[in-house]
Amino acid sequence: MQLITIRMRRASLFVLLYALLMPFCTFYMQAGTFLEPPQATVSGTVTDSAGEPLAGVNLVVESKDIGTMSGLDGSFSITAGPSDVLVFSMVGFKTLTVPIAGREEVSVIMEEDVTVLGEVVLNAGYYTVSERERTGNIATIKAEMMEKQPVGNPLAAMQGQLSGVNIVQNTGVPGGGFTIDIRGRNFINGASDPLFIVDGVPISSQSLGSNDVSGQILGGNTSPLNAINPNDIESIEVLKDADATAIYGSRGANGVVLITTKKGRVGETRFNAQMSSSLGRVTNFLELLNTQQYLELRREGVVNDGFGDFLENPAFDFAWPDIKTWDNDRYTDWQEELIGGTAYRNNLQLSVSGGSERTQFLISGSYLKETTVFPGDANYKKANVNSNLSHRSDNGRFKINLSTLYTREDNLMPRSDLTSVAYTLEPNAPEIYDDEGNLNWEDNTFDNPFAALEERFGQASQTLISNALLSYALWPDLEVRTSLGYNRYQLDSYRTLPSSAVNPGRGLTPQTYSSLTLNTADRESWIVEPQISWNPTWNTFDVEVLLGTTFQKETAQQFVQRGTGYPNDLLIQNLAAASTVEVLGDTDSEYAYTAVFGRVNVNFLDRYILNLTGRRDGSSRFGPGRQFGNFGAVGLAWLFSEEKPFANSSWLSFGKLRGSYGTTGSDNIGDYRFLDTYDVTGFDYNGISILEPTGIFNPLFGWESNTKLEVGLELGFFRDRLRLETSFFRNRSSNQLIGIPLAATTGFSELTGNFDATVENTGVEVDLNAMMFQGKDFGWSTRFTLTVPENKLIAFDGLEDSTFADRYIIGEPLTIVRLYESLGVDPETGIYQFEDFNGDGEITSLGDREWLEDLAPEFYGGFGQNIRWGNLGLDFFFQFKKQKAYNELRAFSVPGARRNLPIRLLDRWQEPGDEATVQLASAGLAPGEDTGALQSRSNAAVSDASFIRLRNITLNYRVPNLGDRLDINVYLQGQNLWTITDYTGPDPEQPSTVRLPQLRQLTLGLQLGF
Amino acid sequence: MGLMWKACPWIVLLGTLGCSDFVEVDPPKNTLVAQRVFDDPSTVESALANLYFSLREDGMVSGNSGFTTLLGIYADELDYYAFNGDFVQLYRHTVTPQNAVLLGWWTQGYQVIYAANDIIAGLEASEGLSAMEVERYKGQALFVRAYVHSLLVGVFGDVPYITTTDYVVNTNTSRLETALVYEAIVADLEQAVALMDGADIPVGDRVVPDADVARALLARMALYTQQWELAAATAGELIAAFPLEPDLDRVFLKESGETIWQFKPGNDLSNTQEANQLVIQFIPGQRFALTPSLLDAFEVGDGRLERWTDEISDADGTLTLSYAHKYKALFNETASLEHSIVFRLAEQYLIRAEARAQLGNLDGARQDLNAVRNRAGLGDVNLVGQTELLEAIYQERRVELFAEQGLRWMDLKRTGRATEVMAPLKANWEDTHVLLPIPESELEINPNLLPQNPGY
Repeated sequence: MQLITIRMRRASLFVLLYALLMPFCTFYMQAGTFLEPPQATVSGTVTDSAGEPLAGVNLVVESKDIGTMSGLDGSFSITAGPSDVLVFSMVGFKTLTVPIAGREEVSVIMEEDVTVLGEVVLNAGYYTVSERERTGNIATIKAEMMEKQPVGNPLAAMQGQLSGVNIVQNTGVPGGGFTIDIRGRNFINGASDPLFIVDGVPISSQSLGSNDVSGQILGGNTSPLNAINPNDIESIEVLKDADATAIYGSRGANGVVLITTKKGRVGETRFNAQMSSSLGRVTNFLELLNTQQYLELRREGVVNDGFGDFLENPAFDFAWPDIKTWDNDRYTDWQEELIGGTAYRNNLQLSVSGGSERTQFLISGSYLKETTVFPGDANYKKANVNSNLSHRSDNGRFKINLSTLYTREDNLMPRSDLTSVAYTLEPNAPEIYDDEGNLNWEDNTFDNPFAALEERFGQASQTLISNALLSYALWPDLEVRTSLGYNRYQLDSYRTLPSSAVNPGRGLTPQTYSSLTLNTADRESWIVEPQISWNPTWNTFDVEVLLGTTFQKETAQQFVQRGTGYPNDLLIQNLAAASTVEVLGDTDSEYAYTAVFGRVNVNFLDRYILNLTGRRDGSSRFGPGRQFGNFGAVGLAWLFSEEKPFANSSWLSFGKLRGSYGTTGSDNIGDYRFLDTYDVTGFDYNGISILEPTGIFNPLFGWESNTKLEVGLELGFFRDRLRLETSFFRNRSSNQLIGIPLAATTGFSELTGNFDATVENTGVEVDLNAMMFQGKDFGWSTRFTLTVPENKLIAFDGLEDSTFADRYIIGEPLTIVRLYESLGVDPETGIYQFEDFNGDGEITSLGDREWLEDLAPEFYGGFGQNIRWGNLGLDFFFQFKKQKAYNELRAFSVPGARRNLPIRLLDRWQEPGDEATVQLASAGLAPGEDTGALQSRSNAAVSDASFIRLRNITLNYRVPNLGDRLDINVYLQGQNLWTITDYTGPDPEQPSTVRLPQLRQLTLGLQLGF
Repeated sequence: MGLMWKACPWIVLLGTLGCSDFVEVDPPKNTLVAQRVFDDPSTVESALANLYFSLREDGMVSGNSGFTTLLGIYADELDYYAFNGDFVQLYRHTVTPQNAVLLGWWTQGYQVIYAANDIIAGLEASEGLSAMEVERYKGQALFVRAYVHSLLVGVFGDVPYITTTDYVVNTNTSRLETALVYEAIVADLEQAVALMDGADIPVGDRVVPDADVARALLARMALYTQQWELAAATAGELIAAFPLEPDLDRVFLKESGETIWQFKPGNDLSNTQEANQLVIQFIPGQRFALTPSLLDAFEVGDGRLERWTDEISDADGTLTLSYAHKYKALFNETASLEHSIVFRLAEQYLIRAEARAQLGNLDGARQDLNAVRNRAGLGDVNLVGQTELLEAIYQERRVELFAEQGLRWMDLKRTGRATEVMAPLKANWEDTHVLLPIPESELEINPNLLPQNPGY
């Protein structure tokens, strides 16, 4: 404490020093001009067109080297001659030249710059930077783009819109998660998740779900970002290169996503209401076998397996009830029954905002209810309150901004996704309910899929994100500020397995089988970031200096318990009614993080910009002596359009060349991994609770590092109506923290350690924006993004001898899969044939999986159009991706087993001489080599999954002539309406046969403001 | 710019504020730092409990893919009626190196061995335990290490014998010749017996291993490696210490006097996984049924046929199947009546009978054999030839120890009768099937394990 006091004293000393020094600087300047008569003091104020005082406006006396800056209240005073000319300039405003003309008081109003560049101010996290002057690569999506999309998660609204950002929705089930990577996969192991920061508060993107509870419905993954209503967001910035991310040090390797919520604006109090209703259906159904085709293949399969005689023997009917005891003429389209419903989404949002010059506020509340395409009453509900308050003191020195976001989500779903059942259930499977309305088990021969609806999954989560930003300007160009953040995420989920959902033939009762699994988890974190910033200007030099430090702590707890044995199924929700209660998990973790960071930005002549950023990080995830790491970057920009040859160009309005180089790191490896520990498992043996060794420990591991290089060219033509940005990047990740697979003889499957391997991601990104036409009644703009990424493993010491030898190849991407090469079906034997690469006469995984396919996208992007005609607005956006993916053969490639299949498997071999694409049917009863499994792991199971998707289309009508205050918009939106693809599986974007594909949605909405 | 330089101390200042103390965190409540585990008897017992729990839950001994069922269908004890692909491979003798059951046996086995080795190493470095405690715990861990290796060598032949926790050594380890593996097992067991002998181990319902449990395995290993004297002497010690349960109906109850080691089930109401797997409650729905050849092996009047097997027919009586009914309590039982038995005295009688017969003590051999036969309600055998007597002992082992941890399969292998018995029963039989293949993914990770067992 004493130390801190001393340091505090020293800090005030600096402030004092600065306060004393500054006047002298001005004095010198005055002294230098002393001899030029006649001089007078000119004073005045600078305001913007709304009458707001403008602080920090650069003020120069033309033809003399005298300058100053406007104060916080917009006032200035400067010594100048009566015939001098004053030049006012500021980012985002048109430069203004005002002759003094003998006046002693000059008040000016600065006009905002109409060009896009000046207007756009980007949030770079710890600081803001104008689009024009940024040295780094920051992509942004603004509120107006997100408002047009009827989605529940901000990540969904970003899909395809930003170059270099690849987002895939994991499931069409509401409340599920997303996979996101920014500029490719950097690490062989470990998450590619970027760092998410909401209003200055880092949000862990890791789910607190328990696989015991939600594994089968959401894939275990619940995105904590679901808590953020896309309509509450003002902007999302994605930091991509070293210049932008290095200030986030060890957490910036995978990029940074900054989410800023909406704030109140000066002006009259406004009310805004938004209502919308959507209908959603699954985007695509598979074409499956009908009953006749299915049974034909089944019989053929049993006969081919050598059980033809048994087929006629009633004693064996039990082995194939679908062929022998079920109705052979019955047909049900199970996709229609199980995932063919319509999902409804209703959304209501009310907000009120306004404020005086000194205090502004915004309060917004929303409620959303979404049902599913599954049968039954499953639904997802979300209620959300977002508030923001900002205030500044009279003299403008003190500012405070408070933002708080609270969300409650309730998700009630069947406990498993019915999609894979819908694809595989026999087409002649019997009635779902018997005459009395009970589940039909067809004499215990039918695992009724509707039983899953009696098994419930429920999840209630609450999220609180709160941030306070306090700042005090000690001097117009020196500010101290502190950002305080708090985040809490609580999750309660359960899963019930009642005995009534199980085939009664198994003789299970509530007493012996019914169970309830409960997961209670919460995560809490706080962050404090004191900072000081200093923005002096000397003549042609603009300097920005920032220095700050971070303290962050995060704790998480999870408690999973299961009760088994109930007097009856009605009491299943009550753990107290269970005869046995087991604790499956009782865990906690703590993460502490601290850092010091800084930035120096020098802008010379408004055209040469140097940006230096750095951070020293300490993390509790590493063992003693390895907790700290240093990261930093240098960024440069040259606004060559300011140079002579282009200064008055009629066509080139903007030109910038920029580059950056630096290092970031990653500590995204989980807590406590350096400790040698024993875990409490929650089980016991003979009354003694069990401790099991956690794993093989390695105390010596350290930071993964990631070096980023970027070169970018930004051009603006015709007063910036056409904007083109191209960037090239090369990111190299080394010192890879890998769970090195170990032979099972070690007792474990992996060991975490730093491996001398380097992964390189290179790529080109293109962003094009064009204002095709801009008139009073008609406007047309167009946007286009394209990303061409390439991933490569460029070094891996000792790969050949390592346990990765079978998975990766130096010079190839990490995303490759090694496959057999399918040679089709032998017309004589009817069996799949494969290339025997090593020529040993056998097809084995060791030597014959030599066919390589890369499953990462070759390129991706989107293009959108925005057309405005009078009160009508039309906006549409296409997303495209060129890629390959596993097709339906990956799941099953031989017809004849007891499951339905895609219709293409009908083309099977039947007799010698047949040229078929599918091998002879088999019911899976025959011994011998499983060539079907080889086919599923061959190149035949990979096909083109490129697509162009009309991600979003919006037609908006603004009701005219309703008076000044009233503003009404009616809109019709479509999401995923149309997809062009050759892919034969359910959804090219998420090529899975077990998860619900994305929905196609149609939304009608009304927005009302007054 | 001077001020810029003045700001430098700030960087230093802020740097020290972000001090290293801040990033030191306490370990979480659900873990214990390893050294501390071995400073307290109760936490060591928790670590040992993990071994028994793992053996019971998943792996070769008990559980869903234990030897009882899977070596039963691989050999001539059980027929398989369901369609698990990996099980079908075993039943039809079309096993591939990708078989997931084999990978499970291999990985789970070595996982338990690691845990045992970690306890042994931890005990050696421990400071908070008495010498008595260290000896007893070490004996238990050594027993488990030997036991798991005995199961692995039984199905895979040459396997690595892992005695350290050093992953660098273990990940590149090579296979040890079968004979040497058995030598190491016997050495570990002899040490375990010595360490635990006389120790007061609270075994409860005989659910925790003690010196007698180590002896039971030692006798079995001595028999498998034809160390007849050791086998006879060790089994003899157990026969002197335990009674043979006279009532066939009580042999598999948890109180059975002849039980040497059994697994305590998951909770106070649970019974055995064996009953749930083997008892056929409905046809259709059958999974494992006794083979006709096993049923034929029972002599007329054998009480075990009546008491330890049962049969069931489907609704219209067209199909009747027999099933093992040693364990009877199903999971809808409301009390814990039976535990999974790992070692019981009848096996020791038959071990000593065989060892004595091999040593030429035919009287003693007949005596031991008849003890088991008489309990089953069968008369004495009076065979005089050594070969005939041995045959009678093998036959007795088959009907006494059927559907118990694949002992039948081990007998066929060790007595060299596998081909003779199996070839007529399994169309795909090859002589090389006496060994199962090493899991392929493990050969990929550790090429030192090559070559694969012959025939795969």
